[in-house]
Amino acid sequence: MFPLHVRSHFSLLRATASPARLCALARKYGYAGLALTDRDNLYGLWPFLSACRQEGLRPVIGAEITEPDSGRLAVCLVENDRGYANLCNLITRRHQKGPFKLEEAIIDIHEGLIVLSRNQSLVAGLLTHGVKVAADLGDRPTETAGRLRKWAAETGIPAVATPDCGLAEEDDVPLYRLLRAIACNTSLSRLSEVETAGGQNWFSPPGTYRERFAIWPEVIPASRTLAESCSFTGPVFGTVMPPWQGRTDTAAALRAAAYLGARGRYGDNLSKPVVDRLEHELHVIESMDFSSYFLVVRDIVLRLQPDGSRRKRRICGRGSGAASLVAYCLQITNVCPIRHNLYFERFLNPGRTDPPDIDIDFSWDEREAVIADVLQEHQGHAAMVCNHIGFKPRMALRETAKVYGLPEGEISRLTRRVPWFSHGSDDLQQRLSELPSLRDQDLSAPWPEIIDLAQRLLGIPRYLSVHPGGVVITPGPICDYVPVETAAKGVPIIQWEKDGTEEAGLVKIDILGNRSLGVIRDCIARITAGGVPFDEVHWHPEDDTLTQNAVSRGITMGCFYIESPAMRLLQKKAGSGDFEQLVLQSSIIRPAANEFVREYVRRLHGGAWQPLHEKVKDVLDETFGLMVYQEDVSKVAVSLAGFSHARADGLRKVLSKKDRELRLRDYKNEFFAGCTDHGVEMQDTEAIWKMMMSFDGYSFCKPHSASYARVSFQAAYLKSHFPAEFMAAVISNKGGYYSTFAYVSETKRLGVTVLPPDVNRSDKSWQGEGRQVLVGLQAVQGLSDRCLDRIIHSRTERSFTSATDFFHRARPAEDEARALIHAGALDSLQEAQNNRAMLLWELAAFHRVQASMKHSSLFDIRLPPPPPLPAPDQRELLRREYEVLGFLCGCHPLSLFKKNNKGLTTARALPDCAGRRVRFIGWLLTGKLVSTKTGEAMEFLTFEDETGMVEATFFPGVYRRYAHLLTSGRPYLLTGLVEEDFGAVTLTVDHIEVLARD
Amino acid sequence: MDRERAIIHFNVADFAVAVERVADCTLRERPVIVAPFQAARAVVYDMSEEAFQCGVQKGMSLRQATRLCRGAAVLPPRPDIYQRAMQAFLGQIRDYSPLVEQGAGDGHVFVDVTGTHRLFGPAPDIGWKVRKRARNDLGLNPIWTLSVNKLVAKVASRLVKPVGEYIVAAGEEEDFLAPLPLALLPGLSPVELRRLREFNLIKIGQLAGLSRQQLLVPFGSRSGFLYRASHGIDESVIAAGTMETAPVVFEHVFADDTNDRRQMEGVVADLAARACQELRRRKQVARQVWIRITYADGVHSVRQTTTRLGTSADFTLRNLAQLALQRAWTRRTRVRGCRLVCDRLHRQSPQLLLFPEAAGNEIRQEKASRALERIRDRFGHALIQTGAFQVSH
Repeated sequence: MFPLHVRSHFSLLRATASPARLCALARKYGYAGLALTDRDNLYGLWPFLSACRQEGLRPVIGAEITEPDSGRLAVCLVENDRGYANLCNLITRRHQKGPFKLEEAIIDIHEGLIVLSRNQSLVAGLLTHGVKVAADLGDRPTETAGRLRKWAAETGIPAVATPDCGLAEEDDVPLYRLLRAIACNTSLSRLSEVETAGGQNWFSPPGTYRERFAIWPEVIPASRTLAESCSFTGPVFGTVMPPWQGRTDTAAALRAAAYLGARGRYGDNLSKPVVDRLEHELHVIESMDFSSYFLVVRDIVLRLQPDGSRRKRRICGRGSGAASLVAYCLQITNVCPIRHNLYFERFLNPGRTDPPDIDIDFSWDEREAVIADVLQEHQGHAAMVCNHIGFKPRMALRETAKVYGLPEGEISRLTRRVPWFSHGSDDLQQRLSELPSLRDQDLSAPWPEIIDLAQRLLGIPRYLSVHPGGVVITPGPICDYVPVETAAKGVPIIQWEKDGTEEAGLVKIDILGNRSLGVIRDCIARITAGGVPFDEVHWHPEDDTLTQNAVSRGITMGCFYIESPAMRLLQKKAGSGDFEQLVLQSSIIRPAANEFVREYVRRLHGGAWQPLHEKVKDVLDETFGLMVYQEDVSKVAVSLAGFSHARADGLRKVLSKKDRELRLRDYKNEFFAGCTDHGVEMQDTEAIWKMMMSFDGYSFCKPHSASYARVSFQAAYLKSHFPAEFMAAVISNKGGYYSTFAYVSETKRLGVTVLPPDVNRSDKSWQGEGRQVLVGLQAVQGLSDRCLDRIIHSRTERSFTSATDFFHRARPAEDEARALIHAGALDSLQEAQNNRAMLLWELAAFHRVQASMKHSSLFDIRLPPPPPLPAPDQRELLRREYEVLGFLCGCHPLSLFKKNNKGLTTARALPDCAGRRVRFIGWLLTGKLVSTKTGEAMEFLTFEDETGMVEATFFPGVYRRYAHLLTSGRPYLLTGLVEEDFGAVTLTVDHIEVLARD
Repeated sequence: MDRERAIIHFNVADFAVAVERVADCTLRERPVIVAPFQAARAVVYDMSEEAFQCGVQKGMSLRQATRLCRGAAVLPPRPDIYQRAMQAFLGQIRDYSPLVEQGAGDGHVFVDVTGTHRLFGPAPDIGWKVRKRARNDLGLNPIWTLSVNKLVAKVASRLVKPVGEYIVAAGEEEDFLAPLPLALLPGLSPVELRRLREFNLIKIGQLAGLSRQQLLVPFGSRSGFLYRASHGIDESVIAAGTMETAPVVFEHVFADDTNDRRQMEGVVADLAARACQELRRRKQVARQVWIRITYADGVHSVRQTTTRLGTSADFTLRNLAQLALQRAWTRRTRVRGCRLVCDRLHRQSPQLLLFPEAAGNEIRQEKASRALERIRDRFGHALIQTGAFQVSH
């Protein structure tokens, strides 16, 4: 028996087992191979192939193709390369809009495919058109299967037994029912109302099928015969490069473009180092046949205009591509690799087998247009990479709880406190019960059952989303390589994730969005609009003293990449505004490298240190003997253990992979053996290996850090010189590390006045000029884009003269108008009294008249005079303003809370209290949950008051006690010890109280 | 001019707790929460004033409630004895006037005592007497308030809660209301209260300062009510419906909320059986069956089914109820309670069937129902159930 019809959990919400689990079972049961036939997709192709390799199974590639509405289904198995391309096309066609007729589609493209089905008329129809078919008898002899078998025998086509299963084992049934209930949006007990039972077969050993089919013994070996005719065991494309304008002389074109660009960057007289490096790089690129890739990326960055000129978009080349001088000359990246000593081999080396990738950031609001351009230009040959979104703890808990009928409020009370821990083999129940933030959570029945089932959901894919920026361009039609479907937002996506794409050899270009590029663009536009000249070509923010000073003091909130509390603290400790140091700092801050951060600061301030080993002394000299960048791992492996460049690069790469354990073992053995051969002491080797392991998860290479540091410096420059314009751009572009609330406070701390929104003056976005920032109308919560546009549009005709005029012309919905009134955006339209209640009355009157004049607009709208309403309570006024804006323009919300000022310290005075215990009232801005070495949870929290920000540390004991009280956007009374480390001040908290409103 | 009315509002605060405290006097010393405590996901049914002060509210999860009020005694709800106590209390009040309007078993009673002066003396005397009797005979201590209408009497009750009495003399309604916060005024929706606050109107008197025309601007058709209410005007009469015309209502509240189909169908079948029993006792048939579902998040859903011929037969009514359930039960959120209402009631026709052989099945079902009924009358309702819809108790 060869199992020819098996679904994995990639048949979304219709099956429970991963390809790996199915393969492991297949080996356990003694099958020679396995056919994976997921429903209308090849999502699981690469995990399946890798599992087959691991278990020593022969893979057969296939898919179930369904016909919408009719329920007809055919299993298509791939015989050869042609068949694979046809299957990809068939699946692509199945996912296209419009009617899909299964029979017609298969008849059109069936070469190289074997089609199995239970549907006799379908099989008969296909047979007459010469399609290679077989009768699928399912997993047990039934009456219909009997008829089908008989007919097959008469017709002379093979009839085979298949497992037709989506479950690995019998105990998957509850999980399957849960998945179905999630898919059908119902509860377990009512599932039968919407769906007939079935689909609950599990994968069984061959003996079971043999026994069942003892009455028709020939159908078991028939499956093996069929499998043998499928010689295709997975696609082999090699490296698939994007084609450049259909030309073949790409190497020459690249050389010409690189030299032209180099002269633009370095002047007409190119120095020897530049020429040498260019030649070296061009040689490597040409020998590896990557020329077209560079040119395609160049065309994306420098968009060809209809008139033949090229327009450069604001970009930031990230990733290892920034190490290439060719890329720098083509303007794909912005940092000179020679000046900053960037390691080209990190990006490309002749031994590298996997394709390189150049990632480019565009401004977040231009990215969609860039991608649309690329997809348009390479229509039929380009699509985006997808993400397989699987159940993560929060989603799993939420969906299971919904099936169990728990009310929304109760679910979110739990899930919003579940941190984004990645799933693993650990017990979810145990992890939840250990979470200090869930201490007061009610986890009585049915929660234990829910958590138990949710645990089993983890990792099962649920739907596809679009990868943020990965685009694949192929020389041939893309659906010959991989099935393509259309994502919800309308773009074509391939059915594989980033990893699968890479494994297939499809080269992807990452086009990503970056908010800070938008910030810099808007800020500069505002500055020049204000009449201040700004020369971007000769702009060197790294050399500006004011900027360096700000960076060294950590006054970089709002600045790209260097605004997080941890980063600002490190900048303060380092006290250096040097570009090189910032590159180093933004790289060394990574989750697993805490102890190295401390060591770096010590060494930077002159602390003595010994190199890791004599042999790596030179290699790590510029980073004080510490491994900081990803390529340091490769460098050390080369010089210490004698690794080849390619092998060392492999080690570097495997560290950032999810399933590294197995592959890492080989590298470890090789590294230890290499070190021993080169005479390195065992204990040194171990220390070095440990430092290498701190690069797991995310870490950066130097070119990437340098590229980002440049943007950081640009932002810091703008913040130092044009604070109002800069902060307005930061808030308008949204999405920084902090909330708008925190940025507003920072703006005020910079000595800039924040003016409330005004329907006559405010734009959609925030506007900064001089020492003032005018709140943008986008800040008013609940205001629709359409209403915003109407306000701006009707204002261009003439200003609003009264509230009624505004209601009449801008036509806000009632809740939008109320939000605008509470935000103070209509204050300037009041004639005499300053009372927003009167505006609300005017609004009500306006609506009343509107309602009564619904069908007649012959007469002017005339409103009755409003009654004299009482004056507002100041607190109430501010409370409402805060409700719609999320911040206060004139004062800090802390002023609404009662304070007993006795013995209190302010944030500004904190540095003077080092070593003392203090009491401090602060507004919680943000927090970062971390895990200690022993696995206990603790949190770093940022608080602020009217005078400044305070970084507070909650060690595990304290965190356990108070975690359930901590919610951002609330004030707390903190008690704790002020600690100072290299000039950076933090508060180690030991007691907190929630502050009550006055 | 009409004779000045005299309306007394009696209110036994936290009725369920008050009754439990009569049953067990040791509970008087401690806060009490009434909730089905054996259930994991129980919610609070009622609580004493002390527990309320700790932050406990009706409908709150019992776990949260016991955390807020740690010393509280938790008792399972016993609707039967609350109903009995209420009937006893009503009986005492009916001695003074037939015009008695009661809330849904929650200890609120309005009595119209207009014109009873010659029989029982001044209206306040009735208040004093009823309270004295309720204290002596039933152990309950009702608030009583007297006014010319229900609205003002109710505001006065809210003012003096949990104990006391208040008399608003005729003509003084407006002065009485003026300084009070708007939230005390019954009949205002949360949206209306919010809008009034936005206009910086906090006290009832401030609302009363606006003219009808002015109120019409923001409140439209509700302006009349707001105007009258803020001036203490309420002309509604006491709705003293007789028992026989009232719809038949049965309700089940799940101790543990559920979304299990079998359990829901079982409960509906059980409610239908009880309703049939009541209908037959009244010799009535129903032509409309309503199912009202209360979900665990407080959302309600109501659907009905109708039949041209009225019915009081178990099987027919149960099918109608199940159909209404199917229509009403559209969400997957758990259900906290389920109410069945039979209305469009008519007298049962005494006429026998002309062709009984054509309706053989119905007659057999009818006989089975009657047999069930006799058993239930003798041994209690829960003793015998139809197999398919077993309710777990």
